[in-house]
Amino acid sequence: MQTPLATPVPVLRLPRGPDGLNRGFAPDGHRAPLKPEVPEVLEPPESRESQEQQARASLRERYLRSLLAMVGRQVCFTLHEGVQVIAHFGATDLDVANFYVSQLQTPIGVQAEALLRCNDIISYTFKP
Amino acid sequence: MAMRQTPLTCSGHTRPVVDLAFSGITPYGYFLISACKDGKPMLRQGDTGDWIGTFLGHKGAVWGATLNKDATKAATAAADFTAKVWDAVSGDELMTLAHKHIVKTVDFTQDSNYLLTGGQDKLLRIYDLNKPEAEPKEISGHTSGIKKALWCSEDKQILSADDKTVRLWDHATMTEVKSLNFNMSVSSMEYIPEGEILVITYGRSIAFHSAISLDPIKSFEAPATINSASLHPEKEFLVAGGEDFKLYKYDYNSGEELESYKGHFGPIHCVRFSPDGELYASGSEDGTLRLWQTVVGKTYGLWKCVLPEEDSGELAKPKISFPETAEEELEEIAAENSDSIYSSTPEVKA
Repeated sequence: MQTPLATPVPVLRLPRGPDGLNRGFAPDGHRAPLKPEVPEVLEPPESRESQEQQARASLRERYLRSLLAMVGRQVCFTLHEGVQVIAHFGATDLDVANFYVSQLQTPIGVQAEALLRCNDIISYTFKP
Repeated sequence: MAMRQTPLTCSGHTRPVVDLAFSGITPYGYFLISACKDGKPMLRQGDTGDWIGTFLGHKGAVWGATLNKDATKAATAAADFTAKVWDAVSGDELMTLAHKHIVKTVDFTQDSNYLLTGGQDKLLRIYDLNKPEAEPKEISGHTSGIKKALWCSEDKQILSADDKTVRLWDHATMTEVKSLNFNMSVSSMEYIPEGEILVITYGRSIAFHSAISLDPIKSFEAPATINSASLHPEKEFLVAGGEDFKLYKYDYNSGEELESYKGHFGPIHCVRFSPDGELYASGSEDGTLRLWQTVVGKTYGLWKCVLPEEDSGELAKPKISFPETAEEELEEIAAENSDSIYSSTPEVKA
């Protein structure tokens, strides 16, 4: 009687080994506790840092909304060496490192689907 | 759906791993130390096997290694005639204790105030770690090299094993209380405080004795010469490994062999259950440590249980995610999907 082949238990990754560079151990002499420590002191609500953080948050939200508004529209990208290309914007990835575009008009033809690296883009404009 | 055991191999050592020990459970998890003939004992995170650091300093093979209960200190016994005490958080060497011959075994008391050592000079030594300059107390009586020495009965007694005997000593009077004789070489000894059980291996036998009276409780025979065995904290299972490179798991109550695993490429020298009993670690002549699940298929540490609905057929192979940067901290199992596919950190200014 043939028994079915058992599935090996999946693992998330292999255990990390020595890095070969140094002897290891906690860099600052302390171990990281398993559970993140609950902050005991609440910062005063109107502190300078908090205002700056709020400004950053609202600017980021505006930028993300601008990306949403761009979806499906024709966008003109200015790349290095004065190259300009036009494409229909599709989406970005989580870290905004890449722009997914379609119908990219390049000097050597139209690319149906393409990924533009953010590092290569100097600026872009579009009309809503 | 039947699941097959996936052992996790911890590499890093370059010579045989001859001893290993777990710490107790601490707020930082639990830890594992491995003694190796390459002279470089390593500290690892106990539930994942991730390397934390290497204790550098010994000039010979390290034969024994142990951690104190809260994993703040480590002790090692080496062929360079010294035992060393280390800070297990920073990796710094705290003390070097000179001996007259190869040191084989070290053990901390529960309060980490005293260190017990034993070795080829046939003497048991007790060092007061708060007075490193003071001479250790010595207990003589063994007629061959001491392989293992352990505190027991809340540090009021000492158990020590040489080639053919296991002896019980009283700490306060430093005298022998009782002894056991074997006609085969004793390969290992483990002490279980809850229940005062002593696990002794010799030849193909795995024997259980009372740690108080040394009276035998039971014993099992394995298919091959066994070098080390460990009893599960809840005393449901025991695991053993030895010269046939295989690990065996037995039911402690019935003695029935439940599972056996091939995997190591050399004889197994040491095997120990973790303090929570969820896994056991084995150290081998092949230079690796392997972690094995007690309950195969359970989600724990790096092992991830897959429910039948999630099985799309692609999960048949153990999943190995993308290589990770060194800065990442201990990750939650749920954070698997946050591994970035593109290795460059995003520098885009919004």
